[in-house]
Amino acid sequence: MLPLPLANILHHRLRSLLSALGVAIAVCMLITLSGLARGTLEEIAKRWQGVNADIIVYPAHWSDNITTIGGGGVGRGDLKMLKSLKVGGKPVIDYLVPICILQGKVAKVNCNIVGIKPEDFHLLIEKPGKKLTGRIFDPHNKFAKWLEAKLTTPSEETLSISRAELARRGGLEMVIDTRLARSTGLKIGDKVYVAGHRFKIVGEIPAGVLARAFIPLATAQWLMDLSTGRYTLIFAKLHNTSTMGDVIRKINTTSRLKATSLGQYRNMLEARFGIMYLYIDTVNTITLIVAMLFVLVTLYTIVIQHRREIAILKSMGATRRFILREILTEAMILTGMGTVMGILLAPVAGAIIEAFLPLLTVEISPRWVLISILAAAGGGILAAVYPAWCAMRMNPAEILTLE
Amino acid sequence: MSNSNRYILEAINLHKSFKAGEVREHVLRGLDLRVERGEFLAVMGPSGCGKSTLLHLLGLMDKPDSGSIIIDGQDTTYMDEQTQAAIRRRKIGFVFQRFNLLNVLSGYDNIALSLKIRGLDTDGIDRLLASMGVAEVARKSPEKMSMGQQQRLTVARAIAHKPDILLADEPTGSLDSANTQTVLEMFKRANEQDGLTVVMITHSPTVASAASRVVYMKDGKIIDGNT
Ligand SMILES: Nc1ncnc2c1ncn2[C@@H]1O[C@H](COP(=O)(O)OP(=O)(O)OP(=O)(O)O)[C@@H](O)[C@H]1O
Ligand SMILES: [Mg+2]
Repeated sequence: MLPLPLANILHHRLRSLLSALGVAIAVCMLITLSGLARGTLEEIAKRWQGVNADIIVYPAHWSDNITTIGGGGVGRGDLKMLKSLKVGGKPVIDYLVPICILQGKVAKVNCNIVGIKPEDFHLLIEKPGKKLTGRIFDPHNKFAKWLEAKLTTPSEETLSISRAELARRGGLEMVIDTRLARSTGLKIGDKVYVAGHRFKIVGEIPAGVLARAFIPLATAQWLMDLSTGRYTLIFAKLHNTSTMGDVIRKINTTSRLKATSLGQYRNMLEARFGIMYLYIDTVNTITLIVAMLFVLVTLYTIVIQHRREIAILKSMGATRRFILREILTEAMILTGMGTVMGILLAPVAGAIIEAFLPLLTVEISPRWVLISILAAAGGGILAAVYPAWCAMRMNPAEILTLE
Repeated sequence: MSNSNRYILEAINLHKSFKAGEVREHVLRGLDLRVERGEFLAVMGPSGCGKSTLLHLLGLMDKPDSGSIIIDGQDTTYMDEQTQAAIRRRKIGFVFQRFNLLNVLSGYDNIALSLKIRGLDTDGIDRLLASMGVAEVARKSPEKMSMGQQQRLTVARAIAHKPDILLADEPTGSLDSANTQTVLEMFKRANEQDGLTVVMITHSPTVASAASRVVYMKDGKIIDGNT
């Protein structure tokens, strides 16, 4: 025979579908929103961790959290000091890459723009699977050399380098990542205004690298009003990563600089933006409660509308446990259907979010799928309790006489 | 024969009242009734005199304010709900005044559910449905059946688990004379062949004449038909 809970659900298809949909939306939101928060931070963390370096060196006066670092707090002297750094009498640094980080807008999209020397770009950023298409900006450092010469020969002219000249010399060239390209519609050869200057897109690199936009280091310094010897921070590659602890300790204790491993960047991101998790978890909890109320109301109306049926079940000698089990089963079927729908919907919702907001990342993790299954199941049971209690308490004789 | 063997169902000095707004309506006022094993009893009385109330009390669907109900020699007064439910499962079949069937289930599944609740197997359902003349409609929802078909199914469900007592509240109240005859014949057959005890409420003297004994209710008490 058709089990009674299933018969009830099939008999009230629309109502059942709607309450399952309520659960589905909650489950879907739970998975995608947590996936969005965690995915977006994770994507940034991975980008930083993916560079070909081991440690980040930054000015000691900066706070312990460098996720929003900017300006030009380190200099050429620091580079020299680091280069000659020794641990146990042996040189430890393989290479150093100074960069400038400039907060800017590329075609209305807020992002970090990294200023880096073209040769350092190949060293720090490019690797198998992350190869530049098109070409690098200012490939032979012609612009950088010209600018440096300009700035180091003090004259009236220095203050009046025209935009046209900047552009002609190759300083206003830019490499963007595929994601920024997709979200802005920019492609190689296009021109785009950044910080009041008209840049030309010359290259594209697969997303997942340090930043979404790269420009010549000299240009960044120029735009940030820094001298050619100032940088925001320095990436360092070690000969041997086993010296990392010692190197960091040495830098932290003996210089005006601070150092941290690339792995720390993830923790810094979580420390700074982790509050976002709290917001999202709160929203998720509320959604889940609303979905539970949905199921509760559905079950409650079913119970109320089926008072007579429940009285008849009782007349046949159905125990309280039998009635409780029927209603609980019905709740579990509804939430189960909703959960499955929600899990199937989550990747779709994630894809839609990423399509409209390409710089965000929705990472659907098995952990959160599991959490949402457990939360929905728990919610389903809770939602069944009150209607079941009402059903068990009913006086069958009264229902049979008065209705 | 000892009393407990002779009577399958005894109601002793039953009182039952309901709150009707401000006042209490005293419906049963010291009602006594003894039903013999294998008896086919008809209960008659004016509308609102408490016949349904009595039937619900006899079937342990409600508790009397005072008095006791003894089923098959067992005093049910101090039984907990679970034990009473067990008695309903094993010994009692109900036909209520209205709406007996679950519309979300087919006719067949209505009977199957009753047997499942009672822990019995469902093998004999098709035979039973055929003998009641509702085999063809049994896969339909009760909503799509005629009154006569619904009531025959209800009777089939009430006797499928072979109870000792059938409590029927105006089982023919909404039926035409042909269907009334069929239902009464079902009762008679179960009564005569299987020894089922039947307590049937009715307004109709013709229907009551199918019973082996008729009692009347008045002022919350039974007035014996023989006296
Ligand atoms: N649960 C209840 N709450 C309040 N009043 C009730 C309840 N059950 C029955 N009554 C009242 O008790 C009286 C007897 O009702 P009952 O249904 O037993 O009568 P009846 O003899 O079966 O009538 P009928 O022939 O119309 O079916 C009625 O006045 C009814 O309104
Ligand atoms: Mg009645």
